[in-house]
Order: sequence, then C-alpha cells, then structure tokens
Amino acid sequence: MLQINNVTKSFSGIFEPVLKEINLSLAEGAFCTVIGANGSGKSTLMKIISGEHFADSGEIRKNGDVAQVVQDVNRGTIPSMTMLENIALSSTKTPRFSFYKRCKNDVMSKIKSLNIGLEKFIDQPLSVLSGGQRQTIATLMALNSGGKILLLDEHTSALDPKMQLLLMEYTAKSARELGLTTLMITHNMEDAVKYGDRLIMMHKGRIVADMKGREKSQLRIQSLLEMFHKFEDQSLLRDGGENVR
Amino acid sequence: MSVDLIMNGLQQGLVLAIIAYGIMIPFRFLDFADLTADGAYPLGGAICAVCMSGGVHPAVAIPYSMICAGAMGVCTALIHLKLRVNSMLAGIILSTMAYSVNLRIMGKPNIALFDCDGLFGANIVDNMLIICALLACCVVPFAIFLRTDFGLRFRAVGLNQSLAKQRGISIDRYTIFGLFIACAIFGLAGSLIVQLQSYMDVGIGVGILIHGLASLMIGEAFIGNFTLNRQLLAPLLGALVYQQVQGVALSLGLAPSDLKFFTGSIVLLVIALKRTEVKMPG
Repeated sequence: MLQINNVTKSFSGIFEPVLKEINLSLAEGAFCTVIGANGSGKSTLMKIISGEHFADSGEIRKNGDVAQVVQDVNRGTIPSMTMLENIALSSTKTPRFSFYKRCKNDVMSKIKSLNIGLEKFIDQPLSVLSGGQRQTIATLMALNSGGKILLLDEHTSALDPKMQLLLMEYTAKSARELGLTTLMITHNMEDAVKYGDRLIMMHKGRIVADMKGREKSQLRIQSLLEMFHKFEDQSLLRDGGENVR
Repeated sequence: MSVDLIMNGLQQGLVLAIIAYGIMIPFRFLDFADLTADGAYPLGGAICAVCMSGGVHPAVAIPYSMICAGAMGVCTALIHLKLRVNSMLAGIILSTMAYSVNLRIMGKPNIALFDCDGLFGANIVDNMLIICALLACCVVPFAIFLRTDFGLRFRAVGLNQSLAKQRGISIDRYTIFGLFIACAIFGLAGSLIVQLQSYMDVGIGVGILIHGLASLMIGEAFIGNFTLNRQLLAPLLGALVYQQVQGVALSLGLAPSDLKFFTGSIVLLVIALKRTEVKMPG
C-alpha cells in the first residue's frame, strides 16, 4: 500500500513548486505507470517516496520498505563488486556474521530464471557486463530486496528494444508474483499502455489524468499521445505568451 | 646491495605493510581520505614507549597502543560525520593535536628503551616471524570479515554510498568502525617500530602516510585491485617492493635526506602511469 496525501515540494531558486498537492493511493499489489514531460515532477515524486528528498508539506504512508531501480545503472549497482556480491548485498536484510557466499545457489537460481545466460558471470565484477545486463541485475536486486514498494524510474530507457521488452516482461511478472506495489515512470507510451492497472499523467507538478480499471485497459497509444500533446501544447502557448511579454 | 640490507629492508617492509593496510581501509573501502596516520602512528609508539619504560610487558603494551590509536580514528570519524568537516581536514586537525598529546604522554620529545626488553631480539628472521604473525593477526580476521554480510555492507559504504543508504546501511557506524580498525593498525605499527628501534621520537610520524600510500599504490600497480584477494595482497607486496627500491636507491648513493622527495616521486609516477593507462585506446 502506498498513500500520498497533499504532497507539495519546492526547490530553492525555483519560484513554482515542483509538486503541487499530489494525492495518490495505491492498493497493495497495484501497478501504476506514470507519464509526463521532462520537469513535470515525476522523478521528484519518486525521490520523496524513496526518502531521498523530503516533502515541504503533506504525508506519505507506506506499508513496507522501498526498492528502487533508476535510469543510471551506476547508482543502482556497484560495478566493481561481483554479481553475487551485488545481489547478496540487496537480498540480505538482516546481516549475519556468516559468509555471504552461502546464498550463491539461491542467487544462481534467480539469475537462471532470467534466461539470458548471465549465470556464467556470477563471480565476475558487474563492470564486465553490458549496460542492459547490469540494469537487469539492478532490477533483480530491487526485486529481491524484500521491499514492498517498487519504484522504477525509466529503468529500461537506456536499453535496446529487445532488452527493454525482456526486462519489462520480467519486472511486471515478478512484481505481480511478489505482490509489490509498483510505481513506474516511463516515456515509452507503449509500455505505459501495456503494463500496469493504472496510469497517471503528470504536468507541471500536478496529476492531470488518472486512469484505472476499464478506462485504463481500453486506453490506446494514440489517444494517450493526443492527451499528452494537448497538455504540452497548452503549456507552450502559455509559456510562449509569458516570454513575449 | 648486501644481504643485511635486503633483510633489513624486508623487516622494515613488513612494518610498512602494516601501515599500508591501515591506509587501505579508509582509502579503498570507505572512500575516506584519512590523514590520521601521521598522528595515530606516533601515538601508538608513544603509548608503547611509556608503557615499556613503566615496566609493562611489551606484548601488553601493543594492545594499549592499538586501542588509543584506534580511539583517535573514532575522533576523526566523528569530527567528519558530526561536525561535517572534510575528511582530510579532520585528519590534519587530529594529527596536529596528536603531536601535543604525544609530547604530554611521553613527557619529553624522545624516550630511549635500550634497557627495556622488547619483543624483538638480534635475530632478524625471528623478528620478521613475529611481525608476520602480528600482521596475520590483523589481516586474516579482516579478510574473513570482508566476506561476511557485514563486510559486504562495509565495502558498499565506500563504493556506492547512496546505494548503501538505500539498503539501510548506517554510513556513520561503518565509517567509525573502519577508522577505528585503520588507526588501531597504525598504533600497532607504531609500537612495533618503537620496539624494533628501542627508541621513540615524537617526530616518527612525519610523512608516514605518504610511505604507506606509496606502498599501497605500488602493490596495486603490480597486481591490481580488481578482486578482493588482490586488494588485500597489494599492501604487503607494495611495501616489500617499496622498501627494497628504497634500499637500492640508498645503496646507489641517494642521501637519506632525499628519501621523502624520492617517495613523493614514486607516488606521482604511479599516478601518472595509471592515467596513461586510462588514456590509452582500447
């Protein structure tokens, strides 16, 4: 469960708040995609949920820890550590004075379940892997961290289409199986329509569209794009007018 | 180069390896540029010298030295973490303060221990075995620790602090622990060198950090540090090579007063070689 009540956030030097009274309630196991133009406040919202930033006002209620996958794979993993070490680090909630290699078999079976042949790199540093492979491991780490809330911030945006599809399918399937409350930021309209049971659109720090249930399942990419452009065009006209003045 | 010079170099190299291990912990595992070595090393020596001249058994004086020097590391960590002072500056402040503290402890600038029985005798091989045993007592448990859940978290603190925070790892706790261990190791090295020389001077710590750092960097240049085992072997190998290179330079006529310039040059050379390696295509 994730509940966001009246969250507002400003940054010094920026006159307009980045987030304006955001309200959002996600039930346990819900999968919500978030779309919006750059600067609409999506990532700031994620950072407030994860605790990286604090809201100026409002409150966030969570029923468990937050697991996160970000676009920059270097932030989400430790490239100089081996694959086993990275995954062991994320999956041990209560550390013990015993060797982390005890979980090698468990980690191996998880990597094998990805079915992309990464198991042979289990004792290699992550730096030897490609960006896509590392992002897959970062996702695996987040999924195994024991967090109840999963935040995905454009986690497939740097990957090739084949890898994007593979990772998205894996993430959606695992999140569903684990019953994670998921919030996924994406610029890929196809993914936004295809995955999740709810979709919100953000614009200038506000949630301007919220689609769920039948409305979401019947949503088409074309209509979503039209809605997206409508808000952006309105904004351009308004900002353009202000600039001329 | 005579056999004596080589053996002496090995003996000194083993003590220097202990210092290099102390430097490796904050620099390589905590991403913490700690300069407390210049203060913690003589503090260990001072405590050991005072204990021994007061009739304490030399083996008992060593843990005293380690605990006191370790406490200094905790102070550096706390200054950095709680007062938000840059790590290097915190180390410099503490090292400067340690000079006065050491003088207070010793009561005079130097203490001769020729009349006291130390751990070491005239047989250089026996001495080396004792140093090796003490070195192993520090390095082996630390190497085991690094392979546990706690060790994995300890390494994560230096490698990716934001990820470590995300995983709920207490940066403060691990930094304090790491600096305690590192400075306790400096304390051990200080007490060993005092027992080897049977003499303690308040100025023994000047420039010790750069010697240890040079050893660490030489070791890493030889075998790299891309695996845990290599990282743990680098200080020992580097210190032994560095001490032999110094011995060769001295036997070729380098004035002892030029040694610090020589050391600095080695550090710069290793850095330059690493940079060239990075710039090379492919």
